[in-house]
Amino acid sequence: MKMTRYLGRYWQLYALLLLPLAYFIIFRYGPMYGIQIAFKDFNLFQGINGSEWIGLDAFKEVFGMRDFYKTLRNTLMLNFLDLLVSFPAPLILAIMLYELRSAWFRKLSQTILYIPHFISWVIIGGIVYQVFGTQSGMINNVITALGFPEVPFLTDKNTWLITYLLVGVWQSAGWGTIIYLAALTGINKELFEAAEVDGATRMRRIWHITLPGIKPTIVTLLIINLGHMISIGFERPYIIGNTMVRDYSDVLSTFVYRIGLESGQYTLATVVGLFQAVVGLVFVLGANFVSKKLTDEGIL
Amino acid sequence: MAKSVRFMSAVLVAGSILLSACSPKSDQAASEGSGSGSGSSGKQVTLSVEVFDRGNSPSGYTIKDNYWTRWVQEKFGTPNQIQMNYVPVPRSEEVEKLNVLMASGGDVPDIVFTYDSSTFYRYALQGGLTDLTELIDQYGPNLKKFLGDEVLNYGKVEGKLYAIPAKRSNLGKYSSFIRKDWLDKLNMPVPQTTDELYATLKAFKEKDPGGTGGKVIPLGMTIAPAQYEPLIWSFVKETTEEQKYTLTQQLGSRDYPILLPGFKDALQFMNKLYNEGMMSRDFGLDEDKKKMSEDISTGKVGFFSEDDTNIYYADGTYETLQSNVKGAELQAVDVYTNEKGEHAKPEYAPVGLYVMIPKSSKHAAEAVKYLDWMASGDVLFNMQTGVEGENYTLKDGIPVALENPTEEAKNRMFNAGDMTLITNGQQLGSPEKNKEARALQFPPKYQDGAREALKISNSDTVPPVLMDRPIEAQAKYGNTLLDKFNEMIVKTTTAKPEQFEAVYESLMKDYMASGGQAVLDERTKVYGEMKSK
Repeated sequence: MKMTRYLGRYWQLYALLLLPLAYFIIFRYGPMYGIQIAFKDFNLFQGINGSEWIGLDAFKEVFGMRDFYKTLRNTLMLNFLDLLVSFPAPLILAIMLYELRSAWFRKLSQTILYIPHFISWVIIGGIVYQVFGTQSGMINNVITALGFPEVPFLTDKNTWLITYLLVGVWQSAGWGTIIYLAALTGINKELFEAAEVDGATRMRRIWHITLPGIKPTIVTLLIINLGHMISIGFERPYIIGNTMVRDYSDVLSTFVYRIGLESGQYTLATVVGLFQAVVGLVFVLGANFVSKKLTDEGIL
Repeated sequence: MAKSVRFMSAVLVAGSILLSACSPKSDQAASEGSGSGSGSSGKQVTLSVEVFDRGNSPSGYTIKDNYWTRWVQEKFGTPNQIQMNYVPVPRSEEVEKLNVLMASGGDVPDIVFTYDSSTFYRYALQGGLTDLTELIDQYGPNLKKFLGDEVLNYGKVEGKLYAIPAKRSNLGKYSSFIRKDWLDKLNMPVPQTTDELYATLKAFKEKDPGGTGGKVIPLGMTIAPAQYEPLIWSFVKETTEEQKYTLTQQLGSRDYPILLPGFKDALQFMNKLYNEGMMSRDFGLDEDKKKMSEDISTGKVGFFSEDDTNIYYADGTYETLQSNVKGAELQAVDVYTNEKGEHAKPEYAPVGLYVMIPKSSKHAAEAVKYLDWMASGDVLFNMQTGVEGENYTLKDGIPVALENPTEEAKNRMFNAGDMTLITNGQQLGSPEKNKEARALQFPPKYQDGAREALKISNSDTVPPVLMDRPIEAQAKYGNTLLDKFNEMIVKTTTAKPEQFEAVYESLMKDYMASGGQAVLDERTKVYGEMKSK
C-alpha cells in the first residue's frame, strides 16, 4: 500500500528514467547478442543464427598469432606510459589554475587549454607531420639551422614514443582539468585561510589541503583509467603512427580494424573485442579492490 | 586525409553488423532467389543497381535521377518493362557499405560491384552470389563477345562464373619522369639504364642544378606502389613459370615479388640510395604521395616514377611546377633496367570492377540483360562520350571532347564513368585508339608528354599471375601482409648499410610467419593441381 502511494507520487521520476534505460538496453545490452560471433564461423550471408558453431577455434587462432601479442604488448605499454605522463598532467594544471588570483586570466588560460580537445585526431595528425617531420618539419628546420643533427621525431620508434605521449598530453590535459577544478571548488575556503594565518606556505597548503581535498576524485579517475588499460582508442595510434614505427604503434584497435573490417574476418575481430572486455573488467575490479584496501576509496 | 574516411567507414560497418545481427535473416530469401527469369510474365519488375556516389551531382541532377538514368530507362527499361532503380553507395566506403548491404539480405541491389578481388572471392566462397555461368550464355551474347574469355576468367571461382568483370581499356601503369632542364644544365644525356640513373642522381645531389640550396631530392620516393614498384620489379631476375605462380604473392589487387629472386637486390639498391642521401627522407610517412607531389611542384625532385599520366592534369603537379619554377621541364623516361636489358614493370590485370549479382536477387536474368544491353550496339560509346556536337567531335574516328562545352553538356557527363559498369576507361575498339583518346583528355601542351608516358607504361610489362582458384590465405592475410611488406621496404631502406642484412632477415621471418608461408604453401598446392590437369 505504501509502495503504491510512493509510486503514485513519484512516477514522473521513474518515467524520466525510461529513456536512458531503453538506450542502454538497446545500444549496450542488445549488441551483446553478437558476442556469439566469437564462437561461430561467421558467414555474412547466413547471419548469426545460420553460422556454424566452432567452439574455441577462433580463440586458438587469435592466441596463436604473433601480431596479437605484439599489439597486446603495445596497447599495455602505450596505456601505461600514458598513465604515467598524461594522468598527472591535468592534476598539476588544475592546481596551477586554481592558485591563480586573476579571474580573467584563469578563464582565458582555461579556454586556450581546452581547445586542443576539440580538434580531431586527423587534423592533429596533419599538424604533427608538419611540425615534427624529419626533412621539412618546423622543429627540425630550426635544429638543423642551428647546426645540430636532425631528430627523427616520427621515424625512430623510441623518439616516436615521446612524440606520441606529448601529443597526448597536449590534446587532453586541458580538458582533463575540468573534473579537478569542479572538485577543487568543493574544498572549504576557511581551511586555506586558517592555514595562511598559521603561516603555512603555498606548497604546504597544496600538500595538506588541496590534494587531500580532491583525493576521492583522483582515485576514481585512476580506477577508471586502469579499467581502460587494455582498450585503446583507434585514432591516436593509427594516425600518429606510421610504417616506420609499427613495432610500437600497432595496437589492438588497429589490429582489429585490419583483420576484422579490412579482411572481413568478423569472428577473429569479435574474439579480440571479447578478450579486451574481459581483461578490462578484471583490471577495474582489481584496481577497485586494491584502492579500497589502501585508501578506503573505491567506485563500487 | 584518407585515414579519416577509412576510420569513419569502419565505425559504420561495425555498427551495422551489430544491427543486422539483431534482425533474423530469412533463409528462404536465399533459396528462392536463384535467378529465375521472370521476364516473360509481362508484368513490370524493378531492377536495382548500385551506383557510386562521389557527392558531385550538379544542380538539377541527383545520383538517382540524371541524364543517363533517364536515358537508360528510356532506351532499356521501358521497352523491357523494367523499372530502373539506382542505389547510391559513397565511393570512399565502397567495400564497407557493400558488406552492410550484403548482410541485409533482402535489401541488397540486384547488381553490386567492387574493385576488391578479395571481397569478391569471399562472397563467392561464402555462397552469397548467383552463379552466372548459364545466365550469361542465355542472356548475354553481346556481353560475352565484348569482354572475351580472358576477362571473364577473372570472374570465375572454382569453374563457375560468379562475377562479370569490367574490361580495362588501358593496362599500362607506370612511367618515370626526369627534370630535362637539369640534365641540360649539367650537359648530361637522358639515363638509359639503372647504372646511368645512379650516376645522374649522384650528379643531381652533388651539383644541385636546380639551385635548391641543399634541399635537392634526386629520387622522389613514397610508400605508395607507383613510386617503388617500377624500381623493385626491374631487379627481379628471370623467373620460371613455376616460380611465377608459386613465389608471387598477391596482396590486395597487386602481385608482389617478395619471394622472387632479385627482390633483395632491389631493397639493397634502395638502401644505398637512401644512405647516400639521394631519396626523400620521410618517404615512409608519405602514403598518399602528398609530400612528394609538393616536392616535385616546388622543384626539389630530379627523378621519380608515377602513374603514367598523373602529372599532366590541368592544375596538376606538372603545371604547378612550371608556374613555380621557370623553365622546368619533365620528360617521361623509361630507365630502370633488368638483367635482360628490359624496362620491366607491372601492368594492370585486364579487369576493373567485379560486377556481381547477389544470391538473394530475384532478377538475375534482367540484371544480365541490362549488362548485355550495355555491351550492344553503340550504347557504351554513347554513354562514354555524350552527344556529338555538344560533348565531342569525331577526329579520325576518335571522339575529342569539346574544349568549351555548355554547362548542360558538361553536367550530363558528371557520373557517366560510374554508369558504364562493364568497362574501366574508354573503349573504342583498339588499344591504340583507347590510348590516343586518353592522351587527348589532357591540356594540349601536355598531350605529347602523356602520349610518351602511355607508351612507356605499356612497354615491357609484367602481367599479373592468375591462379585457377582464389587463394584463401591471400584473402585472409592480405592486409596484414601488405602492412608487413611496406614495413620491410621502409625499414630495410632506412637501415644503416651494415645492418641491412639483419633487418632484412628478421622482417622476412616475420612476414613468412604472419601468413606469407601460408600463401606460399597454398599457391604451391594450387599450382600442382593446375599442372596435373
